[in-house]
Amino acid sequence: MLITGIRSKPVYAPLQPDLAGRYHVMVGHGVGAAPLARLLGELISAAPAALAHTRIWYVRDPASPQSNADAFRAAHVAELRTFDRVDPLLADLTAAMDQALMGTRLYVAGPESFMGLIMRIAHEFNLAGDEVRAEECGTMARRVHCIHCRAIIEGVRTNIVECGCKRWLVVRDHYSRRLAAYMGVMVDAEAPGERPDVKEVFL
Amino acid sequence: MSAGHADHADTIPVRVVAIDEVTPQIRRFTLEPIAGGELPAFSGGSHIIVVMRGAQRVYRNPYSLMSSPHDLGNYQISVLRVDPSRGGSAHMHEQVRVGSEIEIAHPVNLFALAKLARKHLLLAGGIGITPFMAQLHDLRAGNVPYELHYATRSPAHGAYCGLLSSTEPSCVSLYHDSNKHFIDIEGLLGRQPLGTHVYVCGPAGMITRVLDTAHALGWPDSHVHYEKFAAPPTGDAFDATLLRSGIEVHVQPDQSLLEAIEAAGVDAPYLCRGGVCGFCRTEVVSLDGELVHNDHFLSDEEKASGKVIMPCVSRAHCRKLVLDL
Repeated sequence: MLITGIRSKPVYAPLQPDLAGRYHVMVGHGVGAAPLARLLGELISAAPAALAHTRIWYVRDPASPQSNADAFRAAHVAELRTFDRVDPLLADLTAAMDQALMGTRLYVAGPESFMGLIMRIAHEFNLAGDEVRAEECGTMARRVHCIHCRAIIEGVRTNIVECGCKRWLVVRDHYSRRLAAYMGVMVDAEAPGERPDVKEVFL
Repeated sequence: MSAGHADHADTIPVRVVAIDEVTPQIRRFTLEPIAGGELPAFSGGSHIIVVMRGAQRVYRNPYSLMSSPHDLGNYQISVLRVDPSRGGSAHMHEQVRVGSEIEIAHPVNLFALAKLARKHLLLAGGIGITPFMAQLHDLRAGNVPYELHYATRSPAHGAYCGLLSSTEPSCVSLYHDSNKHFIDIEGLLGRQPLGTHVYVCGPAGMITRVLDTAHALGWPDSHVHYEKFAAPPTGDAFDATLLRSGIEVHVQPDQSLLEAIEAAGVDAPYLCRGGVCGFCRTEVVSLDGELVHNDHFLSDEEKASGKVIMPCVSRAHCRKLVLDL
């Protein structure tokens, strides 16, 4: 019904270095460390000099055992900035992008909801599809925007979810790049109390 | 003829109401609709096709609209007299007078400003200033930063230097070859903030330098825009057969394949007449020689295949070319 057949859901691909770029900005969250380390290795072997123009922003995820930035530290990139929470990284990255020059390529690896937040920054700076590469890894839990009270619910794993406004929302595939969130629409508006069973679907 | 293509029979009759001698080589024509009222709306960067009925043949040359998109009472174009002229620019300079009635095709924009850009960098060479003149009307009204760098051979060749330096002093930089003052393309492209779009219109050499430099500095294609107006390249004469109608056309050395097809009374599709938009792309059915591709649209593979041609600028080195037209 409201869930499927919607094409605004982003599609991601494994990261590869774009050697046409002059500056490389890599951004990762938790398990995103692994694809970024692989990407960094490929970049170094293809263009060792690019290391001096490579900067990394990374958020540690205490819930994820593979979450560490050691691989980046060993590589001696131009700059490595690590964070324990997402919000300060977003502010720091935004400030850096404001100073960045044309010729920059942005690479993102992490859970889908994190990538949405980074892609929103990319759009703010008018980065086009040929300047950004993203690889989804980790949880598919969704950031959901309640279209009724406009609250954001983080980390939604279920087909329906109760919002803080007490409405039960069905989580659609309709994705807003501006909000970096999926749309949540009241599920029992037509027939109050008639709700499907709660199921874990976004793992 | 066929549905789905721009209807070229649907031209707009206009009257030349003013001709200004801007430089010894450049004239500005002001065109008003004969029917009165307003001309079609357009956005900065658009061009029109002017249909010129010469004594020997009909020319259809594209010219950028340089007047304000907010004033549709008239259009203005600038025509550089090319020497030697294939006929089009000489016709505009010698035959067209104030009061002359001519036909134009509806505006088409293949050089529009990127709406989401964080900054616009405009690079003009010589007559290539014209599309930017229209875009400046929108840029002035907006709040996105922009820079115009305008190079001409000498101050006397600078068609609109005076106008620009008085209205846009902080955003416009002028360069004159005669003063050994050139645009520092590498320096400029190397220090632009993220989200900048670059636009270049001017001589072929300038466009190539900007595209090559942008690529070398890591600019993605999505942020690089160019517009090139040049006469269709000349070459050997050859014959072509239009398969669907059975019409045979002879292409003169200084005539384009598209012009020869039009002269035979066939309303073939086109938009830019400069080998960039892809609208006139035509399938080649057979060929007893080789194609001479002059376009910037087909991929290298398509060009090598010999199966497709852009008749607005490309030719054939053969006796007989059969087209699916």
